[in-house]
Amino acid sequence: MSATRYALAETRTVRESTFRVRELFGRLAVYALLGAAVVTVAFPVYYAFAGAVMGPSELSSYPPALLPHSVTGRNFTGAVQAIPLGRQYLNSAVTATAITLAQLLTSILAAYAFVFLPLRWRAAVFAVFLATLMVPWEAVIIPNYLTLSGWGLGNTYFGLILPFLASGFGTFMLRQSFRQFPAELRDAARIDGAGHWRFLWRILVPLNKPSLAAIAIYVFLSAWNQYFWPLIITRTAQMQTLQIGLASLRDAERADPGLILAGVVLSLLPTLALVVFGQRFIVRGLTAGAVR
Amino acid sequence: MPGPTPGPLPKGGRGRRDWGERTLAWAFLLPSLAVFALFIGYPLGRTVYLSTHGNDLFGAPSRYVGMRHYTDLLASAEFHKTLVTTLLFVLLTVGPGVFGALGLVLLLESRVRGVRWLRSAFALPFAFSVASASVVFSVFFNPAIGVLNGLLSQFGAGPVGWLTDQRYALLSVCAATVWMNLGYNVLVLSAGVGSIPQETVEAARLDGAAGWRLARSITVPLLGPHLFFLVVVSTINALQSFGQIHILTQGGPDGATRTLVYSVYEKAFAYGSSDFGTASAQAVVLLMVVLACAGVQFGVLERKVHYA
Amino acid sequence: MSKWSLRLAAALAAAGLALTACSSSSSGSGSAADGTAPGPQALDQAQGVTTVTFWHAMTGQNATALTSLVNAFNAAHQGKIEVKPLFQGSYDDVIAKYKASVQQKATPSLVQVYDIGTRFMIDSRQTVPAQAFVDKDSYALDDIEPNIRNYYTVGGKLASMPFNSSMPLLYLNTDAFREAGLDPAKPPRTLAELGEAAKKLTTKDASGQTVRYGFGAAVYGWFVEELIAESGTLYCDQDNGRTQKAGKVLFDSAQGAQAVQWWADLVKGGYAANTGRVPADAQAAFKAGKVAMHLESTGVLRGYTEAAKFTVATAPYPRLTDAGQGGPAIGGASLWIDGPGHSAAEQRASWEFVKFLSEPAQQAAWHTGTGYFPVNRKALDDPKDKEWLAKYPQFQTAIDELHATKPTPATAGCLLGVMPQARKNVETAIEQTVSGAKTAQQALSDAAKDLQPAIDSYNSSVG
Repeated sequence: MSATRYALAETRTVRESTFRVRELFGRLAVYALLGAAVVTVAFPVYYAFAGAVMGPSELSSYPPALLPHSVTGRNFTGAVQAIPLGRQYLNSAVTATAITLAQLLTSILAAYAFVFLPLRWRAAVFAVFLATLMVPWEAVIIPNYLTLSGWGLGNTYFGLILPFLASGFGTFMLRQSFRQFPAELRDAARIDGAGHWRFLWRILVPLNKPSLAAIAIYVFLSAWNQYFWPLIITRTAQMQTLQIGLASLRDAERADPGLILAGVVLSLLPTLALVVFGQRFIVRGLTAGAVR
Repeated sequence: MPGPTPGPLPKGGRGRRDWGERTLAWAFLLPSLAVFALFIGYPLGRTVYLSTHGNDLFGAPSRYVGMRHYTDLLASAEFHKTLVTTLLFVLLTVGPGVFGALGLVLLLESRVRGVRWLRSAFALPFAFSVASASVVFSVFFNPAIGVLNGLLSQFGAGPVGWLTDQRYALLSVCAATVWMNLGYNVLVLSAGVGSIPQETVEAARLDGAAGWRLARSITVPLLGPHLFFLVVVSTINALQSFGQIHILTQGGPDGATRTLVYSVYEKAFAYGSSDFGTASAQAVVLLMVVLACAGVQFGVLERKVHYA
Repeated sequence: MSKWSLRLAAALAAAGLALTACSSSSSGSGSAADGTAPGPQALDQAQGVTTVTFWHAMTGQNATALTSLVNAFNAAHQGKIEVKPLFQGSYDDVIAKYKASVQQKATPSLVQVYDIGTRFMIDSRQTVPAQAFVDKDSYALDDIEPNIRNYYTVGGKLASMPFNSSMPLLYLNTDAFREAGLDPAKPPRTLAELGEAAKKLTTKDASGQTVRYGFGAAVYGWFVEELIAESGTLYCDQDNGRTQKAGKVLFDSAQGAQAVQWWADLVKGGYAANTGRVPADAQAAFKAGKVAMHLESTGVLRGYTEAAKFTVATAPYPRLTDAGQGGPAIGGASLWIDGPGHSAAEQRASWEFVKFLSEPAQQAAWHTGTGYFPVNRKALDDPKDKEWLAKYPQFQTAIDELHATKPTPATAGCLLGVMPQARKNVETAIEQTVSGAKTAQQALSDAAKDLQPAIDSYNSSVG
């Protein structure tokens, strides 16, 4: 800690030579505010981890133990016994992956049609795509529930995936991206005899990898975090996604917070890794094109 | 958004090829359009249809009731409360969520040490899904064995019914929501600050601007598009929030946290009630509210935003 | 996205589709809900293992006890029947999910539904009445406790087999009683007495902060239902829906208002903790010694004796006044066998399991393992059960209470299709009274008014 601080300080020596006493108080205030904010924001995260390794007596002690006195793995084994966590991980992964791949595919095709193909009523069709962005999913959730239930797809992967195979958002983003594709490159490809199909998959898609990755992250995270739809379309723990599993773990083990927190920690690992190691990557994904 | 020459191949006399390309365009659009038709278009119409019908035990529409569900809603004190709660929920999550994050990002910008480390700490909530964050907060807020009341008792303060007292329940759910959104908001605004040209900031600094003045005159105005984006996204998100309410309060106590979306759920799926008629009428109201909000925000706010 | 990850994703997707195929439920022929039940030959003719999917709402100690019963049954029927218990959340969740499963045409073989879901389950026309199996087998129901049988008998026929039956009890923290100079052997009997005791049992620390509340129970409509039943008054019309379908709730009676107002006044006075609607939270408060008196089902007793660090005593459920004449109604849940969409063998296998659960030995294990009544009277003769009662006299209170209750329409409990919503409305009324927004009478009247359209639309939709 102090070594890094020292290093940081050194790089700033020049600037900070203009330090004035009046600024000192301002700085102190800034640090105090930041410190308070960090504690507030990080405490729930800390406590989720600390509580996950505490025994039941520590968790229910008054005043509450903030530091685990001894570390126990009981909560983790208990959580895994209470809900089929592994299977629910798989369910979330399958669902989110399938939705992501499908949306990429349908969006790539649609965006290609908008940018590179002749199309009557182009503006009107595009307006339809944009309009889908304005419809809150919750406003159409009842008929969708009835439709998929009627098809016998309740409690199946198809039920979880089918309504999300296309997205106006993905198409919109990719259209922006494709429009910036250099005309010379496209002409060159055509002169080389590349048809639409080859041009799309051999040239356009590889050259738009960053945009595609950004959209993929966005779509994947949204699908991974879904709650309302999987809650109503699944019935059994075996088909529930991780998010619903966590909620039912809380319901089943309400009196045992350690177990609940252990379940949360286990469910958190992938996204936590993403935040810690891939922050830049996510920012791109989440703000993709929304702000330019 | 300038982009070089979009658009199709130049039109020529190659009729057959043109015809082929037009077909290809529709073929490419078909998968998306089919999904939209089945899962957005048709359900929109169906929602309106259901909202004008009564239903049997399992929610199947049974008889036409006209605007009954709507007039019942308009007359229902419970529904008025739901609308007010929804509005409060939006205000209490979007305001603190966006401007709290802005405050944090500005503090980080005032050339403190360990910025990276701090920013990562603020981004941590982003790793939580709505469900996992809500589950953690439910442990915090637990009336009997919750951490929060335990900490309060350290300071001699009485136990607070965070989720069971109607004075606090909505605030508690909002606080949890603000926490959940904070990570994302900080990430977006940090990205925004990162995109402000360094020369602009340096120039302002040379002019003697620092701290608060620098923030007010340079950083915040240049963050306009990002703030606008966040306000829009957060508002729409807030209107659609469901998981935290379902996990933390189930809309209670006495409807203190029942928002529009939760009300749709409650009528359609909770307590073994399949009142799809009333729920659909509420879903239509939700649609109107979301459309109106989006319209207002684009119309009013966008004019005041500087685009870099 | 690298090729590798694309491939992985494709593989995952493929695996997913395969898994879907496995999890989709098999739909067999099976008899419709025409009231006939398959005989034992259905199971003899079946090939391989017949699977019974069993939805339940048991948690904690009770889930453990249930699992061991299921394991015993499966071991005894190895190669023939396998019962798969699936936890589906709270009772409310179970009925919501059951409804979904009807909409999705994929009901479980067997489902545990709470008392107040009885009317709905009958109207859903998805189940084979237990009576049909009873008739087929000439099975004697004499040993099933008459009071419990009374609740689940509709139109002279046993609709479902009671499994976990309970009544509410008054739970006492004996340490707290002694500390306050009260005798736990003389528990309060009426609401007025309970209120007095609660005041004495509430303790505060130097800073004025409440350390222990005298009373605390979940905001759970069932407790109000039971107080009304005990007062000998009805919860809904048509003799609690027993003579005809009920068309109106009566919980906004003077008795109902008295119960709710009493509760709210204790909370407002600072003598009762309000831990909200979730029973588990109120239970945690009692187990942690934060409330001295507590209302709960008999079904949590074993969990309390296991977890609490003090001696838990039980007392009969309090009455509104000394003049009360009834007893509490039966609570808990019963088991429903689904017909449509399930093969004859599957229905029969469900029945075998249901029968097994209601036998004396199993009921004795269930009784001692949880605190629920033995629905089979013979279970009380089981030596293990006798030994248990001698050791833990707390378990006796409930049995005495059950036997003291005279079967009347009031104690039979209200049959109402929208009973879950009725209960929810009463809970809202309690909350409104606690917050002071309304008086109990006002809140209950509003709750009844709010419920009326739901009752009307339910009754008109089932004809």
